[in-house]
Amino acid sequence: MNKKYTKEHEWVEVVNDIATVGITNHAQESLGDIVFVELPEIGKSVKSGNEISVIESVKAASDIYSPIDGEIIEINNDLTKDASVINQDAENEGWIFKLKISDSSQINSLMSLEEYNDFLKNE
Amino acid sequence: MMPINYNTGIINEHLHVRKSVGLFDVSHMGQILIPKTKQNIFSLEKFIPLALENLKLGNSYYSFILNENGGIIDDIIISLMNINNQESYYIVYNSSRKNIDEKIFKSILVNYSILENNSLIAIQGPFSKEALNFLKIDYPSSFMKNISVKFYNEIILISRTGYTGEDGFEISIPNSIIEKFINDLIKFENIKLCGLGSRDSLRLEAGLSLYGNDLNEEITPIEAKFKWAIDKDRLLNSSLNGYQILNSQINDGVKKIKVGLKVLSNSIIRSKMKLFDLQDNEIGFITSGGFSPSLKVSIGIGYINNDYRYDKVKSIIRKSMENISVVNLPFIPHKYKRGD
Repeated sequence: MNKKYTKEHEWVEVVNDIATVGITNHAQESLGDIVFVELPEIGKSVKSGNEISVIESVKAASDIYSPIDGEIIEINNDLTKDASVINQDAENEGWIFKLKISDSSQINSLMSLEEYNDFLKNE
Repeated sequence: MMPINYNTGIINEHLHVRKSVGLFDVSHMGQILIPKTKQNIFSLEKFIPLALENLKLGNSYYSFILNENGGIIDDIIISLMNINNQESYYIVYNSSRKNIDEKIFKSILVNYSILENNSLIAIQGPFSKEALNFLKIDYPSSFMKNISVKFYNEIILISRTGYTGEDGFEISIPNSIIEKFINDLIKFENIKLCGLGSRDSLRLEAGLSLYGNDLNEEITPIEAKFKWAIDKDRLLNSSLNGYQILNSQINDGVKKIKVGLKVLSNSIIRSKMKLFDLQDNEIGFITSGGFSPSLKVSIGIGYINNDYRYDKVKSIIRKSMENISVVNLPFIPHKYKRGD
């Protein structure tokens, strides 16, 4: 399995033509206690860079962007009941939405784990 | 400096204080001792709307430093204490207002001592007195009382006050013994270090104002609903800054008034957001906002036009108009230890 990362501190896990998206552990640490997540609508077509979801933490509201073009096919409804799942397990149980990828070449422009770690050092 | 939070996060610290006891280092706040003399009383009463001569020994009072328009230069706790056989006013003031407050103190007082070498800690929560029992330290019997006691041969000042809505104490401790004090205290197993983040969410639930957010020089104690904290006789007295404005606000009403705000959707209000009536006319603004860990919704404090009579307002939260209820403060009932 191949995880990719964005400059907006999101992770993207691609299996076939489905991408699962969440925020990185680094992102949840800097947001602090997460209290609400506004999830995108299933069936919505999104473009890379669109604001499609919002995370409210005790400190601030943060937009979640779509990392690539596609269609929302699944959302993590568990987050509506308990958004702190993202604090507990940002990169697994705390996934936010799944996309059907429309242009798989966009995946290549995302960062590898090593590139993301370098990005964090220089941020 | 106090961090935003320690390792378990703001919400954990918050909930711990509501059910057990938390320790806050608030040494950034200003502390001053002013001997109770005729001259000091005369000088202070220009700024402070209390009859200082009549303050009771061992009592603490919420009050203000007022400007010439009755606007709030700072909000303070002033206590009358007996220290080394000298009755003195002990004032705790905000760190963000230190320079301004101290400039006033220096210009009007003949003798005073700024307690630069004292730390200030707050012990807050239902098990606060157990924490002091653990240290075998005497403490004041009820809310807004104070005593001074000896600890490791130094004088410490204890008042039964706080900024969380819970029972608790604020203790001024000479820096020479602060490490010993803290090391002894944290052996009490229920106590947990808490930071600025939970301090803010706790005070917001308790409906307590934060200087710089909910109070400033453009806001009077009448607009902020603190008429109860002003001594009535002082309002008749021209020696009090802004007394005419305060009187006319009491008699004729204020234009804007402080209110509590509660959001019913999963959105969080933050300070500086504007408030609108149901026809989208601007009628006020939010001065504090955040998430309430106890109520699991967003709450806030704001100011709205005093002639607004409806209990719903609106605000733009992340591009969409959200309904907000106008409610009374506090959001969570205070649990102070009341006197008999």
